[in-house]
Amino acid sequence: MTSWHVDEMALRRWIGRSDSLADSASVEQHLLWCDQCRERVNAAVTGRPAPGVVDLGDMWSQIRDAVELPRSSVFERLLQRAGLPAHDAKLVAVASAFRGKWLAGVTGVLTFVALAAALGDSRGVWLFLAVAPLVPCIAVAFSYDPKVDPALEPELVTPYPALRLVLLRTVAILGMALPAVALFGLFVPGRAPYTWLLPAVGCVAAVLALSTWTSSLRAAVAVSAVWLVVVWSLVAQAGSPDVVLHARFQIGYLVLAVTSTVIFLVRGRHVREFRPRRR
Amino acid sequence: MTPSISLRGVGRRFGAAWALADVNLDLAPGVTGLLGPNGAGKTTLLRLLATALSPTRGQVCVLGLDPAVPAERTGIRRRLGYLPQEIGFPRGFSAFAFVDYIAVLKEWTQPAVRHAEVRRVLDLVDLGGISTKRIRAMSGGQRRRLALAQALLGSPPVLILDEPTAGVDPEQRAALRNVLAELARTSIVVLSTHQTEDVAALCERVIVLDCGRVRYNGQVTELVGRAAGRVWLADAPDVAASASWRTGTGRYRNVAEHARAGVEHVEPSLEDAYLLLRGGTRPDSGDVREVLS
Amino acid sequence: MHGSRSDAALLAAIGERDLAAMRALYDRHAAWLSVRLTRRCNDCDAVADAVQDTFVAVWRKPQGFRGDGDVAAWLWGIAIRRLVSRLRSHREVMARFEMMDATLVPAAEDQVLLSVEYGDIGQALARLSPEMRAVIQAVVLDGLTAKEAARLLDMPVGSVKTRLSRAKAHLRAALAEGLP
Repeated sequence: MTSWHVDEMALRRWIGRSDSLADSASVEQHLLWCDQCRERVNAAVTGRPAPGVVDLGDMWSQIRDAVELPRSSVFERLLQRAGLPAHDAKLVAVASAFRGKWLAGVTGVLTFVALAAALGDSRGVWLFLAVAPLVPCIAVAFSYDPKVDPALEPELVTPYPALRLVLLRTVAILGMALPAVALFGLFVPGRAPYTWLLPAVGCVAAVLALSTWTSSLRAAVAVSAVWLVVVWSLVAQAGSPDVVLHARFQIGYLVLAVTSTVIFLVRGRHVREFRPRRR
Repeated sequence: MTPSISLRGVGRRFGAAWALADVNLDLAPGVTGLLGPNGAGKTTLLRLLATALSPTRGQVCVLGLDPAVPAERTGIRRRLGYLPQEIGFPRGFSAFAFVDYIAVLKEWTQPAVRHAEVRRVLDLVDLGGISTKRIRAMSGGQRRRLALAQALLGSPPVLILDEPTAGVDPEQRAALRNVLAELARTSIVVLSTHQTEDVAALCERVIVLDCGRVRYNGQVTELVGRAAGRVWLADAPDVAASASWRTGTGRYRNVAEHARAGVEHVEPSLEDAYLLLRGGTRPDSGDVREVLS
Repeated sequence: MHGSRSDAALLAAIGERDLAAMRALYDRHAAWLSVRLTRRCNDCDAVADAVQDTFVAVWRKPQGFRGDGDVAAWLWGIAIRRLVSRLRSHREVMARFEMMDATLVPAAEDQVLLSVEYGDIGQALARLSPEMRAVIQAVVLDGLTAKEAARLLDMPVGSVKTRLSRAKAHLRAALAEGLP
């Protein structure tokens, strides 16, 4: 490396923008390969914030934020648009139900089932009938189960109310899942799509209520099993899938939804409790 | 009023077996170590202190608040940092994102303040330089330090740590000890560990648990003092010793309740004292059984 | 300490998501980049944005540096292009032209300095019009293409090319004059 370095006066004139083109060109070319003179520029500019001069410290904070801060997902921004405060939106969007893989899986299942219903015979409809209300139910269960939500233990002892978290996630998931199921339901011959709503809501409420006693995943499995048995026996008896959505049963689903919700709210503090497994 | 934790007659049962029985403790600011074999109930005790579990019997009082009352439990959790024995991390998170997430759960709602605090705790555990690294790309020791970082958020008055230095290399362990010592000036720090050197270096008080009961609760120096004159070196393992092992120099270190005369005595370490304690008469089991590891 | 690490080593560390290495690179280069950019455009905010964009781009793709030449030159290439893409109004450029005018006549001691690096060219350059000097600086010294220079200086591409060839002709003539 050459031992020539920029003269102190020339450097100051360059920084102060009071030199000629040739001078500045000379300094600038030199700075491209001389670390020592770059350091001198640094020393001259740092600690002298003035209007018209960039603030190096402030710029670094911006860069660090751009690089370090986790980016908000689509769902987070959607939730914020819907009125949820930023920190709540962050907590809700973290739920696995909003993750790509889960969404892809669910869409796949629903597509398959809807196709089966649209193309096939009453058995296809029966399948859709069985599966559709379970989708939001399982999504909700997954959104706060420890197997899927691995940071459970430190999360448990944080002051954020668990009930609020579960409710927010449930409402968000329902807001997403119910229209989706209804959309797929359009392809199914027979009853109008909105008749799925009550069974779906009933199942979700049942899962929430049961999760105050046991893990949400087990609750979802139990509710799914019961629902499948109910559907199967009703259809076997009446011969047509439509019977499950009949008016008298709708009342039953409504009662289930309401009582489950009440139980859930009353026993709210037991939801997401730490239940250590025996090893 | 100095912050304190007290337990009176606390017991915790899982099914038919008692993991903890008749525990009476008082904890004050400073570092208290928790020693004991696997299955002694250390993790259960720590979970109780951290309000993750409730006792089957007895009273717990943390900072003057009762964890059995929901409103007071939330109050305790606002002043608590907890590092569990095993921790899982959400998928696809970076170190910064994880601590930020926990910070939100700890009610840090203002983003600018929260981010500054996240950076502070990451720097404390020396992970500031790799805050953007994906957790799945981090080593076991780095993950442990990350888990510790979330417990340090807000410099809580109560810090419960279950094996904080597991898998952490010696250099980092020394750095972590400094962080904990600094915090312990005003906070109550309880840590469980298998490394007696950690306890000896860091703790003023130590609690030894065995089969769910407290076998010793007092000053570290006093426990070490109990082993004075009861530790000696020999060229071969001594049958009369309750514990005997080969050291790096090729000689054998022996520990026994009743030392023989005319042997080469050495200064006792905490490990010796601990082994001596464990090697003594076992407590009457009764309904206490090893349940959890 | 990062003082001993070369720029290339810092870039490698940045590839491993080392934020401390990123800070070190920033500490080394942000100051001169900012000053040099401010000499092309008076708008402080645009310069700050350009520098920030540059470092974020480096973080995202440190392997963009192919190992040829200095890291500093690579950084400048990114920075000036970011600035060009951010420039909107004519105002910043006009202010720069005024700046140029003030340096028409170099001081006596400057001429001694000039001869060390550029010799007679320094004098020849000083006699060019501000627009021609700007074009020389953008195309020859900053390494921009005619199109990028046109955007930076807010003039049509044709003008850039014309002024460049005229400036070169002037310089050639001035140098030829100077030869003994």
